[in-house]
Amino acid sequence: MPAFKDDQIIIIAPGSESTVAQLGLPESFTPPRLRVRSRMFPAEKEGEWEPYKVRRRAVANKVEKPALPQEEQDEINDMKKSLGEPDDDEVLYEEDPVSEEGAVWPISEGRIVNWPCFFALMTHVYNTLNPPFHTPILLIAQPAWTPREHEKLTQFFFEKFKTPAFGLMDSAVATSWAYGVHTSTVIDVGRDKVDVTVISEFIPHTTGRVVALPGCGGEGMTQQLLSLFKSKDKGFTREMCEQLKRNPICEILPIGTPLPGTTDMSSSETITNPAAAASTGATGSGPGPAAAIGTAPRGPGLDTEVGDEANGDDDNEGVLDVASIVAGGKMEEYLARKEREKQEKLAAKKKGAEAPQAQSKPTRLPNAKREKATFMYEDHHLLDTLKGMNLGTKGMADAQAALDEGPSKKTDSGEAAEELRSAIELNGDAASLLTSSNTGPIRREIEVGNERFQAASGGVLEKIADAIHRAISSIEEVNKRSELWDSLIICGNGSKIRGFKDALMSTLSTKYLISPSSATIFTSELPSNISTPAGTGANTPQPQLGPHGSSSQVNPLLLAATTAQNPHLNPGMAMPSMHNSHSGHGQTPTSIRTVKPPEYFPEWKDFGYDEAAFLGAQVGAKVLFIVDQGQSKGYMTRPDYNEQGPTGIHEYSL
Amino acid sequence: MNPSSATAPNTNEYAGDEISAIVLDPGYSSTRAGFAGEDIPKSVIPSYYGIAPTASGSSQYLFGENSIHNPLPNLEIKNPWSSDGIVEDWDTATKLWEYAITSRLTGQRPTDPTKNGLNDGTNGEENGQMDVDMDGLDDAEKPLAESPLLMTEPGLSSAKAREKYIEIAMEDWGTPAFYLGKTGVLAAFASGKASGIVIDIGASTTTVTPIVDGLVLKKGVQKSPLAGNYMSNQLRLIFAQSQPPVPLTPHFMVASKSPVDAGAPAQAIYKKFEVPPTASFRRFEEERVLTEFKESVVETWNGPNRLSVPGTEESLKSAPGRPFEMPDGYNQLFSAERFKVAEGLFDASSALHDPDNPRPKDEQTIPRMVQAAIHHIDVDLRPLILGNVIITGGASLTYRIMDRINNELSQMFPAPRIRLIAPGNTIERKYAAWIGGSILASLGSFHQLWISKKEYEEHGPSIIDKRIK
Repeated sequence: MPAFKDDQIIIIAPGSESTVAQLGLPESFTPPRLRVRSRMFPAEKEGEWEPYKVRRRAVANKVEKPALPQEEQDEINDMKKSLGEPDDDEVLYEEDPVSEEGAVWPISEGRIVNWPCFFALMTHVYNTLNPPFHTPILLIAQPAWTPREHEKLTQFFFEKFKTPAFGLMDSAVATSWAYGVHTSTVIDVGRDKVDVTVISEFIPHTTGRVVALPGCGGEGMTQQLLSLFKSKDKGFTREMCEQLKRNPICEILPIGTPLPGTTDMSSSETITNPAAAASTGATGSGPGPAAAIGTAPRGPGLDTEVGDEANGDDDNEGVLDVASIVAGGKMEEYLARKEREKQEKLAAKKKGAEAPQAQSKPTRLPNAKREKATFMYEDHHLLDTLKGMNLGTKGMADAQAALDEGPSKKTDSGEAAEELRSAIELNGDAASLLTSSNTGPIRREIEVGNERFQAASGGVLEKIADAIHRAISSIEEVNKRSELWDSLIICGNGSKIRGFKDALMSTLSTKYLISPSSATIFTSELPSNISTPAGTGANTPQPQLGPHGSSSQVNPLLLAATTAQNPHLNPGMAMPSMHNSHSGHGQTPTSIRTVKPPEYFPEWKDFGYDEAAFLGAQVGAKVLFIVDQGQSKGYMTRPDYNEQGPTGIHEYSL
Repeated sequence: MNPSSATAPNTNEYAGDEISAIVLDPGYSSTRAGFAGEDIPKSVIPSYYGIAPTASGSSQYLFGENSIHNPLPNLEIKNPWSSDGIVEDWDTATKLWEYAITSRLTGQRPTDPTKNGLNDGTNGEENGQMDVDMDGLDDAEKPLAESPLLMTEPGLSSAKAREKYIEIAMEDWGTPAFYLGKTGVLAAFASGKASGIVIDIGASTTTVTPIVDGLVLKKGVQKSPLAGNYMSNQLRLIFAQSQPPVPLTPHFMVASKSPVDAGAPAQAIYKKFEVPPTASFRRFEEERVLTEFKESVVETWNGPNRLSVPGTEESLKSAPGRPFEMPDGYNQLFSAERFKVAEGLFDASSALHDPDNPRPKDEQTIPRMVQAAIHHIDVDLRPLILGNVIITGGASLTYRIMDRINNELSQMFPAPRIRLIAPGNTIERKYAAWIGGSILASLGSFHQLWISKKEYEEHGPSIIDKRIK
């Protein structure tokens, strides 16, 4: 009889952006069931924390509007009851599950920076899961956590939750478990950091590990977008950039793809990679291409009119700070003006439709070829402002409806939105963005130019590539390096941005891949350091080929066999020397590949493997708590803890 | 009263069993730190650090791999060590070592949440007040207030330097107990030997340390600059002197490369920098390429003749060489050159030299240093010592250097049998001194050797010379 049951295991994976958790292991492993944003709100009382924004509402409001609808009155009463407020209290409290105003984020760059807040977050997660008494906990540890911090966590989990057993699993190790490979290079792209961990035979190589490389995660790319828009002076906020980044129209183009709207194909822009873009960006000409757009002739049809509007009017409606207008009480004016603009737009569109070139259907172009695109922006800030204005439920709903430009309202841009929606559905991951009902956040449509392809132009990819090179070069066993280059795992939610992984792989290839030297082709001797042929045929010595570009001479069967091993490789990706691993360098890499994700968990397959660490933790929890039952010291039990104290955790954690 | 040898340690005076000590092994190229009792140092950071001017006019120190490889304008890369393996810049060294300990072992002291920029936009007043209590506690704590510290020192360090070590540990870091171990002795411990001769081929210096019963024979300690950095400089000379010169372009300069024929000029797209990175940064990044070259191409020459014998080098030229590709795509076959890099360590006459890199002295080569060290050892002890030749240090990983040392020493000392001891595991070879420290500090019987804070307060820094010889 195992010590623990499948359905009584908690797995928690804290992250800088969101914390995921699950109670119980299902028959077939599923993506995490509970997902909370990794933030808490300071409560009224010092040192206490609330999971949601709690708003104080003065009751003065009630006096002003005595004729409240009955249902709202009830609502308020209910709220009072649920909060344990006496009816005669002067202040009303309201929980707001959406707002993030004043939130405190306890984890930054993978490190825990605010311990009381972090503990409160863990408590919130634990209480939400509401586990039975006899439930062990497996915590996924970020690489940036130090051994002393592991002890602190151990103490907290044992003493606060009285857990019968506690385990810590390194997130990189967990990822490699998920992929079922013993040797790999795990590149975890998080919110504001990147970790590169080299794992050899299931053991992470701590000395050369790149921990929490700052400024390279998703947040770094958001900031890059923000600075690009800032230089154009469009009044974009960070939140807008964040949502743009998550939208499928934001894409990182493969190296060498010209930005749409860049007409000069022969310019350096077209042949270089983001690095070049970075250098141009550094010269303060980040808006360079953008400025070019303004003067370059535009394509016909929709683009023309939209472009005119963006240029001609400084008060570009899409990026106006509506919240401040509303707060200033000028909502009516704003709505009226918008209506007028809509009419003008409609008229312009009619005109445009008459133009002979309008039939070229620019909307059918793939995203990467279009110069401009729109996305729906959920304006939380505006919503917060409205809430802060103490409008009644009715007034609130009205204002919301008036300001919302979501696709449920028939606007003239409905066509674009429709098309966008199909794009999103294709992409699959942000469908909820549009399908949410009108009661949700207020949506506004924002149009962006080709800045949306430059999220990584700040040199993020190069920094990560350099970190990978450093991490693998730090491995003392030179002969292991080539295997590590062949088993990259790119994960983490920061890598979700469209095109990111392919762009990273091609950056690695162009910068670090070693081509076979033409000097060795005449020598028949194989260098002593060549490894024995592997099962994949990757290391099999082959008849010498011509120096370059002779791929046609490769044994087609062998080539087919090696490529079949890696069907996940993006066909568009540059893999110039798949077949050149015979070059005989002691130098690495002679080939760079990613590991194929596991396929035997259907739910995960649909979900994507960006959070593979959680899958690995599920595998780990099953193995450690159920199969192994503590024989290999995968977790610490309560008696162990009582005996050894928090420092004992180092003998148990993975 | 000297409480060292006779009296048993008080539990409150010395570290208890359950608190693990920290072992810090600073070197020229990297600084190793970790918990005693573990088999590898958890924290290995480069000893090089960056210094960049900030907008406010002061300068900002950058420590750790993550921050020193970015080509920032005006970023200078420096090293607190002098090129002959002695700490020069104590202030920065202290900061660097503290970083090595706090970044990966103990964790940073939490910065005030109102200042770290994470919670911008929150109600600062409320937040600040809340954390005052928490910080009040932490301010009293120094980074090592809970852990005893074992540090390593080079074989030949001055009394003043040793006093500085304990001063830093006690005053700046507040460690409750301290010990200073010599790298040679600790490396011997890691191999399980109390007597022997340790050849430590590091980055800046090669040290030969004779050890008898766990004590260093100070007279016999030899030091020379023929080590890893010397080999890098030889490589630079080889590249510069070859016809045509081999270009050495570090990775950060290259945006993308394309394959070219061997020896043909590189066809790469280079990056443009508004402010070109400093020479020290470039040199530091070039060193990464040289390291890769040393790892994958360089081999120690092993006869039959000496490389300096006329004709040997010519015959090598016809042999197949090893290719190496530079970050910009330039690639070349290296045949005779790859043997010349390490030759100077054994034969000063074959070392390449130019005005900046003078020819090394004959007595600086490894065989001559071993000879000089053995000379100081009692004749009766020589067989014991020569039977335990321990080889350690990062540069000792050069391909086939062990065979060469064995050959040289066997020729020099034919009578007592030479036995080389070198950990096969590369990690153990590189971090031998740290591992020795880790073993030592975790021994139960070691506890009486710690110098406690109390003793330090009583006697001052000079206690180090009294207690640790």
